[in-house]
Amino acid sequence: MYLPVSDNIQNNQVNRMKESSPDHSLMPPCQVACPLHMDIREYVDLVAQGKIMEALQVIRNDNPFPSICAYVCNQPCEEACRRRQVDKPVAIRALKRFAVEFGGDRMIQAKAKTTHSERVAIVGSGPAGLAAAYYLRKLGYPATIFEADSEPGGMLRVGIPEYRLPREVLDTEVQRLIQMGVEIRINTRVVSLDLLFDMGYQAIFVAIGAHQSLRMGIEGEDNSGVIDGATFLREVNLGLKPSLGKRVAVVGGGNVAIDAARTALRLRARKVSILYRRSQAEMPADHVEVEQALEEGVKIQFQVAPIRIKGGSKQLSVTCVRMELGEPDASGRSRPVPIKGSEFNEELDTLISAIGQAPQTPGDFHVRVGKDSTIQVDPVTLTTNRLGVFAGGDAVTGPATVVETLATGRLAASRIDDYLQHRYPVTSKEERETLTGDLLPETIEMIRKTERLEPPILPPEARAKGFEPVELVYDWESAINEARRCLRCGMGAEILFQDKCATCLTCLRVCPYHVPYLDDSGTIQIPAEQCQACGICVAECPAKAIVLRNPYDRRHITEELDYVVKSAAQSKSKPLIIGFCCQYGLFGTGTLAGLWRGAKTGIWIVPVLCVAKVEAEHILRAYEMGAEGVFIAGCGEQCTRENTAFWIRQRVEKVRRTLSQIGLEPERLETFNLAATDEDPVKALDKFTEKIGGLHLISVIMQEVKK
Amino acid sequence: MIVAEQKPLEEVRRMIAPYQRVLILGCGTCMTVCNAGGEREVSFLHSALKVAQLKSPNGTHTFSEYTVKRQCDPEFLELLVDKVADIDAVLSLGCGIGVQAVAERFPDMPVLPGVNTSFLGMTSEWGVWDERCAACGDCRLDDTGGICPITRCTKGILNGPCAGSKNGKCEANKDMDCAWILIYKRLERLGQLEKMRRYYPPRNFRTIPRPKRLMSKANTDLGENDG
Ligand SMILES: Cc1cc2nc3c(=O)[nH]c(=O)nc-3n(C[C@H](O)[C@H](O)[C@H](O)COP(=O)(O)OP(=O)(O)OC[C@H]3O[C@@H](n4cnc5c(N)ncnc54)[C@H](O)[C@@H]3O)c2cc1C
Ligand code: SF4
Ligand code: SF4
Ligand code: SF4
Repeated sequence: MYLPVSDNIQNNQVNRMKESSPDHSLMPPCQVACPLHMDIREYVDLVAQGKIMEALQVIRNDNPFPSICAYVCNQPCEEACRRRQVDKPVAIRALKRFAVEFGGDRMIQAKAKTTHSERVAIVGSGPAGLAAAYYLRKLGYPATIFEADSEPGGMLRVGIPEYRLPREVLDTEVQRLIQMGVEIRINTRVVSLDLLFDMGYQAIFVAIGAHQSLRMGIEGEDNSGVIDGATFLREVNLGLKPSLGKRVAVVGGGNVAIDAARTALRLRARKVSILYRRSQAEMPADHVEVEQALEEGVKIQFQVAPIRIKGGSKQLSVTCVRMELGEPDASGRSRPVPIKGSEFNEELDTLISAIGQAPQTPGDFHVRVGKDSTIQVDPVTLTTNRLGVFAGGDAVTGPATVVETLATGRLAASRIDDYLQHRYPVTSKEERETLTGDLLPETIEMIRKTERLEPPILPPEARAKGFEPVELVYDWESAINEARRCLRCGMGAEILFQDKCATCLTCLRVCPYHVPYLDDSGTIQIPAEQCQACGICVAECPAKAIVLRNPYDRRHITEELDYVVKSAAQSKSKPLIIGFCCQYGLFGTGTLAGLWRGAKTGIWIVPVLCVAKVEAEHILRAYEMGAEGVFIAGCGEQCTRENTAFWIRQRVEKVRRTLSQIGLEPERLETFNLAATDEDPVKALDKFTEKIGGLHLISVIMQEVKK
Repeated sequence: MIVAEQKPLEEVRRMIAPYQRVLILGCGTCMTVCNAGGEREVSFLHSALKVAQLKSPNGTHTFSEYTVKRQCDPEFLELLVDKVADIDAVLSLGCGIGVQAVAERFPDMPVLPGVNTSFLGMTSEWGVWDERCAACGDCRLDDTGGICPITRCTKGILNGPCAGSKNGKCEANKDMDCAWILIYKRLERLGQLEKMRRYYPPRNFRTIPRPKRLMSKANTDLGENDG
């Protein structure tokens, strides 16, 4: 009953479809917001399918140190995530952490070959320097990192506390760099760049960070009971055990202040408070971390600032003043103004000032320094005033984030490559069109609301006892369910062949999300920023004018079907049953695997990313290719889409009608719910197989009788 | 719009039985809109014919498929010249007009109707079409409040309602609205109830001459219009 797959159809339209497979998917806002422009939508979708290794591969394409980002990234992607407009953003960072840990990131070997003779020196081993080294090695350059500290990592080592970034994670990445051939010279403070040039380096990347703490500028600041946040954390992180009293206050409202307070708590300070001069709304620190600090017992006094410090070591009397919020200042936040007569005294042992840091560039570097002591560079080429000297990271921007510095490190590597190869720097590689615009209320209304699942965290009591990682990893089920919340922004449908559109309005009528509309000229439009990529209109458009924007999505089912039929033809197992199965959820790894085992009995699975995309023609084609029975197995109630079951029923009924006209039993087409709780889908499928076996026998007998 | 439905597969197979190479030809206008013969239905039928062929072979066939914008306009059919060169028959999923237009353009080619052209109608909702016009050639919708009694009254009567109208439904089909009650209500809304009092003499459908051809262009053949 088997027919060759391509049977000489001279069909212009099919050919046209094959030829024109441009990628029209738009870059989603999460990817735009990520300084590394990671393909978040893609790896989140892979997690949703349980394809963790593939997800990790996608992650590693754009991120040199995903395991580090998985712990400490400030997740600008989540800020931009459009799911926020529906309920809450997708927990992107936690999903990355899941992919990194379960995908076996630790095992991955990084390799690099030296193809260039020009040597590059990198000053500073923070994320900027490490990333530059990674990409320079990938480009084939010998690279040496010079690090003043006794251990590499910059703020990853001496800033961020261990309970947020376990040091073995950092060590693994550093080891991988060494494996790639990066030379790291610790305890080596660079004082002059000329020296490096003299040593034969042909380009230098300066990434010395911003380590100089800003001064509060108040009386008594140099008291021995006062320490700055960066120094305090640094000493703790290097195991130097700074002296700390029982009553500690931290001044500031950023992440460093929170980290210092939580670290002080872990060093057994009895009473830790934060003094912040504005209100909670203005606090720049990550709100999750603020929450966690509060849970652990840190007190925060808002609209309070110290103005005077008296007393000696371990006996400080700090005079504070309350603030009211005035007009917005240059930063856009309200300027705090002291309230007259509101002074009060705090009795403390230690005061930690964490009100910001600035870079401190050795004068002998002879690089031009500008506002807030930052090194001046051309933002496109990262070149300084000195030939062959590039700079990036906190040293250029002032205190920033890990992911931003990784991005500049990557950029620096390619700019240095341009420079060394005497190439004019290509300003930006061809960027895809980005998706802009908010979801409309009528679209939002139809999107299923699903709760954002947070990864588990240690209970506050356990946390405050030491430096154990606070945040834990998802289990499989939570990760997959959280990943399924992604709206796949910018992957939706488009009318690729406007000339074929009959303006029949089918798409407008079938779309569960009210996306297609008639514009003023009477042309049907499918706005990309609203489309939820369910594929229903694609499967229903009678003119076949609509396609999914992504070529892979477009061809997926047809190609999988071809593949299955080819493999089945080789295996010769009878009867041949083809099942279109939802690949999302645990089905891809769990239930589906059970069905795959059934391949012995002639069951072949076409994995689909939502059964709503299975068209009536796909089903019929399975019979055309020799299937004795076909089934569709969706995820039932777990589907994140609307109306999937309705459309599957429509198509199944249509095909069943045709089957009976042909004289084939309609029972040869069945639907299953992989998530059913009342009946085990694998058992239900067994029954179906038996039935098909019977029908197969009947058809064989009938044929004999006919003959 | 013209509304049609695909013929039963059995009938299609009987028609194509004598021909080996068959081009399944869709129509991109009305037949697409009513889901009877657009590009999707063309490939669905193609596939169905192949499955049927596997189940119970009747002759050897090879199929090709194509869809033109509109079969009822000869210009669109020029695109078919190459495609019909090496086939034995066209299975047209155009309406009756399309079939004839194709047959006229390719006089040596057998052209088979793949759909039954059913009526002139409109879409009521996705997948549902209702007849609205009988193309009777003598439109009286001004008198009936924009509701056609010929297509919407089961009996097609011109002076309704009849005695079988109950609670606004038709005695012949309890699910169907009585067209004449609809007409009454509409005329009431328009303040034109006096039109219900008029008597419309029966029309002799046998003698209504079919127009055969309509022209919207002015006849500018020399001498006819200008004095
Ligand atoms: C306490 C704290 C918590 C933070 N938490 C987060 C967070 O959760 N998420 C996030 O995204 N970002 C966080 N950040 C910010 C982030 O760590 C920095 O933006 C990032 O590390 C900057 O990278 P960099 O490579 O530019 O500089 P750095 O990481 O500062 O590295 C610079 C390196 O250069 C070395 N160096 C300096 N001068 C010389 C010299 N002359 N010769 C040789 N070596 C030299 C230094 O010793 C240092 O190792 C945090 C920062 C701090 C301080
Ligand atoms: S819903 Fe998904 S694709 Fe859209 S912004 Fe969020 S993570 Fe990105
Ligand atoms: S369903 Fe297809 S043919 Fe109909 S209006 Fe939409 S795009 Fe056009
Ligand atoms: S793909 Fe789905 S959401 Fe997008 S326009 Fe089509 S039916 Fe609507």
